[in-house]
Amino acid sequence: MTAGQSQSCQSEETHCITCGDDGAPMTVVAVDLDRGLALCAHEDGFRETVETALVDPVTPGDVLLVHAGTALTRLEAAAP
Amino acid sequence: MKFVDEFRDPELGRAVAGEILSLVEPGRHYKLMEVCGGHTHAIYKYGIDDLLPANVELVHGPGCPVCVIPMGRVDDGIAVAHREGVIFTCFGDMMRVPGSHGSLLDAKAAGADIRMVYSPLDALRIAKQNPDREVVFFAIGFETTAPSTALTLKRARVERLTNFSVMCSHVTIVPPLRALLESPDLRLDGFIGPGHVSTVVGARPFEFIPADYGKPVVIAGFEPLDILQAIEMILRQLAGARCEVENQYKRVVPYEGNLRALEVMAEVFELRPHFEWRGLGFISHSGLKLSDAYADLDAEARFSVPGVRVADPKACQCGEVLKGVIKPWECKVFGTACTPERPIGTCMVSSEGACAAYYNFGRFAREREVV
Repeated sequence: MTAGQSQSCQSEETHCITCGDDGAPMTVVAVDLDRGLALCAHEDGFRETVETALVDPVTPGDVLLVHAGTALTRLEAAAP
Repeated sequence: MKFVDEFRDPELGRAVAGEILSLVEPGRHYKLMEVCGGHTHAIYKYGIDDLLPANVELVHGPGCPVCVIPMGRVDDGIAVAHREGVIFTCFGDMMRVPGSHGSLLDAKAAGADIRMVYSPLDALRIAKQNPDREVVFFAIGFETTAPSTALTLKRARVERLTNFSVMCSHVTIVPPLRALLESPDLRLDGFIGPGHVSTVVGARPFEFIPADYGKPVVIAGFEPLDILQAIEMILRQLAGARCEVENQYKRVVPYEGNLRALEVMAEVFELRPHFEWRGLGFISHSGLKLSDAYADLDAEARFSVPGVRVADPKACQCGEVLKGVIKPWECKVFGTACTPERPIGTCMVSSEGACAAYYNFGRFAREREVV
């Protein structure tokens, strides 16, 4: 875990988002098609390489729900 | 924050709380279980309990992946971590779970090379950077983290990494729910279904709950409005004598789940005949192990894990908390001998554990008005 990731885990939710049934919305910044990975950014700034095999194809600007470094689904805007 | 702020609107929250109040039948006690640790955390963090009438009781289920890991499993992990040449990797919260002779953090302090990772991909990266070492990933979690482990194992296979293996402690959500529903000491009126597990498995696996047990299920998101709305939807079902699986979290959860994730999990994992859950005992077909096709990447086979069963400490009542039989503060050691800084039981370790969530956010208000 990098320092940036650690801060993110602690900042908003005060707990590590990896360990429980909790995920983070992240925006795709760049796509590595060959390796099936994407660089994604959290709204608070930290960036992470994310496995995209379960939601491919992705393009920059897509918002994904990321859980333990893997994108589980795409997020669509919805009003409560 | 997009996808978040709109689900924290206080005006809407008050309106939904009013709806809940109007749906409650005076004199009737409602027991609703939130299955997932993420919900438990959010309920205490946002004080959702305080917005509900006193006869709507939220029971905290076994959905925190850290909290359900038995002590023997931690001991097994520590035994592997102490092997010569091993780099043992795991998620952060897992480091503090007590085994019978200390935690992984204690083992790290004693000299074992144990590293916290954010995802299994990080563990794979460590394996590539250390070709002369054996890197083991301690995989825990429900169907949310299992696809991540499965994809990492497939990647290890493609990249022909031979110094990487997984100690698989993944669990599945449906068998413990069935076990709880069969439990004679627990009467529930409905379930708040797990949001992100359902992203993977979909809503269909929960259909047995209304069909076989006559209880409503509403799959919910993790923001305050999500949870309040799910409670309202359950109460509306109960008031209308309906009983079905509803999906409050449609913006994220497709009814059929993520088929690609289910496929990759079916390829990489198979069900264990039984798996031990902290406080719940052995539950049939509730744990995952690596399939035959990936058996060479199974750390348990590679390091012949001891597999000793260890009884929970006598003072610890995690099992009763996990089944919702007692509230966290009713445990004999809650907040005294057992605190987040020095946990005895697993429910106090992860902040998604009912005890830690209650300790951090909710321990000052236990009284609510009865309708």
